[in-house]
Amino acid sequence: MTNTILLTIVFLKSSLQRIQSKYYEDAEKNKSLRRIVYIILFAFLAGIIGFFSSNIIDALEQSNQETIFIGLILFLVLMVTVIQVIFSSINILYFTKDTESILPLPLKPYQIILARTNVIIIVQYFIEIIVGLIPLAVYGFKMDLGPMYYVPVIITLILLPILPIILISLIVMILMSFSKITKNRNKFQLFTTFLVLAVAIAFSIAMVKIDEQSISDAQMAQMMSKANSMIEMIKGYFPTLKYSINAILSNDIMTMIIEFVKVVGISLVAYIVYAILSQKLYFKGLVGSLFSGENKKKNKKIKLGVKRKNIGRMYIGKEFKTLLRNPVYLVQCILPAVLLPILCIVLIAISLDEATINDILNYLSQINADGVVLLAILGIIQFFSMITYISITAISRDGKNAVFMKYIPLSLYKQYIYKTIPNIIMNLFSIVIVLAVSKYLVDISILNMIVVFVIAMIMNIAQSFLLLIVDLKRPKLQWNSEYAVVKQNFNLIFPMVFSLISIGILALYAETTQLISVYIVLGMIAAIYLLIAVLVNIYMYKRQNELAGKIE
Amino acid sequence: MIEIKNVSKSYVKDVKSVDSLNLEIKNGEIFGFLGPNGAGKTTTIRMITGILEPDGGDILVDGYSIRSNPIEAKKRFGFVPDNPDIFLKLKGIEYLNFLAEIYNVPIEKRVERIENLTKKFEIYQNLNSTIESYSHGMRQKIVICGALISNPKNWILDEPMTGLDPKSSFDLKEMMREHTKKGNAVFFSTHILDVAERLCDRVGIINKGKLVFVGTFEEMKAKFKEETSLEELFLEITEND
Repeated sequence: MTNTILLTIVFLKSSLQRIQSKYYEDAEKNKSLRRIVYIILFAFLAGIIGFFSSNIIDALEQSNQETIFIGLILFLVLMVTVIQVIFSSINILYFTKDTESILPLPLKPYQIILARTNVIIIVQYFIEIIVGLIPLAVYGFKMDLGPMYYVPVIITLILLPILPIILISLIVMILMSFSKITKNRNKFQLFTTFLVLAVAIAFSIAMVKIDEQSISDAQMAQMMSKANSMIEMIKGYFPTLKYSINAILSNDIMTMIIEFVKVVGISLVAYIVYAILSQKLYFKGLVGSLFSGENKKKNKKIKLGVKRKNIGRMYIGKEFKTLLRNPVYLVQCILPAVLLPILCIVLIAISLDEATINDILNYLSQINADGVVLLAILGIIQFFSMITYISITAISRDGKNAVFMKYIPLSLYKQYIYKTIPNIIMNLFSIVIVLAVSKYLVDISILNMIVVFVIAMIMNIAQSFLLLIVDLKRPKLQWNSEYAVVKQNFNLIFPMVFSLISIGILALYAETTQLISVYIVLGMIAAIYLLIAVLVNIYMYKRQNELAGKIE
Repeated sequence: MIEIKNVSKSYVKDVKSVDSLNLEIKNGEIFGFLGPNGAGKTTTIRMITGILEPDGGDILVDGYSIRSNPIEAKKRFGFVPDNPDIFLKLKGIEYLNFLAEIYNVPIEKRVERIENLTKKFEIYQNLNSTIESYSHGMRQKIVICGALISNPKNWILDEPMTGLDPKSSFDLKEMMREHTKKGNAVFFSTHILDVAERLCDRVGIINKGKLVFVGTFEEMKAKFKEETSLEELFLEITEND
């Protein structure tokens, strides 16, 4: 086995490590149960994604544009890859704790770099299963397609993420090579992440704009009238996307092979160029990231005692300080709740022209504002809450220090509450943003805004407590980089599952608004979630010691 | 005073990491807890501090059970864990104030203690920096300061000398002596036999989860061979078991 493959396996194992328990027998007993839970959760997710995919394919089929679904999904895979890798590459390449143990080993520089990059690529494959493989399999099933469809789909999903990952990693390496000149590693890491994020957003906006300019209204009308021609719009977004789509849609094996040769060729050349270039760039940044810690400030005037606050405020303050001062936690836990709603709104606003926006607004204003719209707003709020990872990582983020909770003279129940509040506060941001945009778009009444706000908060509180319980039951305390807690953590499936269940409940109730008053429906939703919040709190209070059993 | 009453703990069925441990750390004494790696020292300390729940038995801190009255028991000790990498993103001063709040230390006493402790350990000037910028030894010092900020009657320290420079190590030992002179108790684990010999009033040696010796060094020498070194005695006790 080559050193690169060996290193890749070691890095993967250490980043995807399981919960480590001293109670080996319990761990063995729970293993099969845990597997069943994961299979059920995965089946649930797959079912929901499959259901939505099926509906979209049906809608596209009506206008003879169903092939665009393949393009859209591959484009989505690319976008998810870009966003994920922006956040992950800098952490995996530069800020893993094992770097200092790896550097003294007799390994060639390119072996370390490629092994780290392989980890980024492999982690991305797991995400692709949900985002790419399931919808494309549904498409194949509905269209009754055979191996000539599935084989190129799988090859495409393997090859497609390589080029964007390499490009982003190179940008990160170039930026990080300046890290030696900075004195504060954390601030520099945050600055680099923001810069890469800004470059990626600017790139997407530019793509949308170029696309808009290159296709006139007449051309668009022509495309719409010709069966399966809209997919041509998607192809131009990324170099390897065009050849991948051509390979999937090809009717003969020769064309498919030729198109794949192009994709493999581009990816391989990029991989080799990356291996050569990164050797010159990577270690400059790595040394900088290892040794440019925060300067030890020697202040003569030190304010020793702060004004006394209550313990709760102090504890919550400590949680926020840890979240805000750690670039990985800031980017993964705090920023998405604030940035993502804004980003979505900006991207939608940019990609749609004024006439289309007016059409949508007119359509929305015709809908009964007291009914489906209110539930839809709650659904959108739930959608954004699935990316708030504060509660689900509240215990795991402390790592080995989580035992601190157990030896201080403060009840565990109170600490659970304090650890949940930051999640509730950050969700509050997205609730306010979504409500403000809703007010602008559909002009809902102040009373309805207040009603939606209260229900959204009740749902927020219930869900935040439930997620904390998940983390308490399955904490990931042994990790080698903060990134492993907030990304390579199987528990992160739970916010998605809880939010999708809530969206499902809201969708079910939306059906009933034709029959009964929306306020009764909203009252019932509020009652359900209030009951969950109360029961979860009683459970946390009564079982506070047992819940902390895994923290040791 | 810390009383450990018939405490046991197993991680794996039929293998006891700590087996029916009985121990009393009296007021006014420095008690050293010795044993080879994996003997059960850290497990014992984790049970005393409430991190681990014993399978059986009970532990009392100044008469309060860590199992049935944990908050009152925890108020009565200060704990220095073996890993000082704690709350790395907090500034030293923020960490100390956070702990002072949890232990309900009044503002005037807090200021006085922070100043005294951090000046003694020579980290006063670094209090405005985040703990992640501290060296291993400095982190150990800030954790010790945190444990002592509430002036607890009982000190529980897991390998406290690790990473400390000679002066700080000397100061900590002096502080332990002063603390016990006032009628308080100090319980600490260590691998450094010389430190234990010179500092401790009594020692306990644990091996494979069982307490194999408790007493003074003189008693140890009297019980075994008087002419051998402490190191040889330790090896004999733990290997013959």
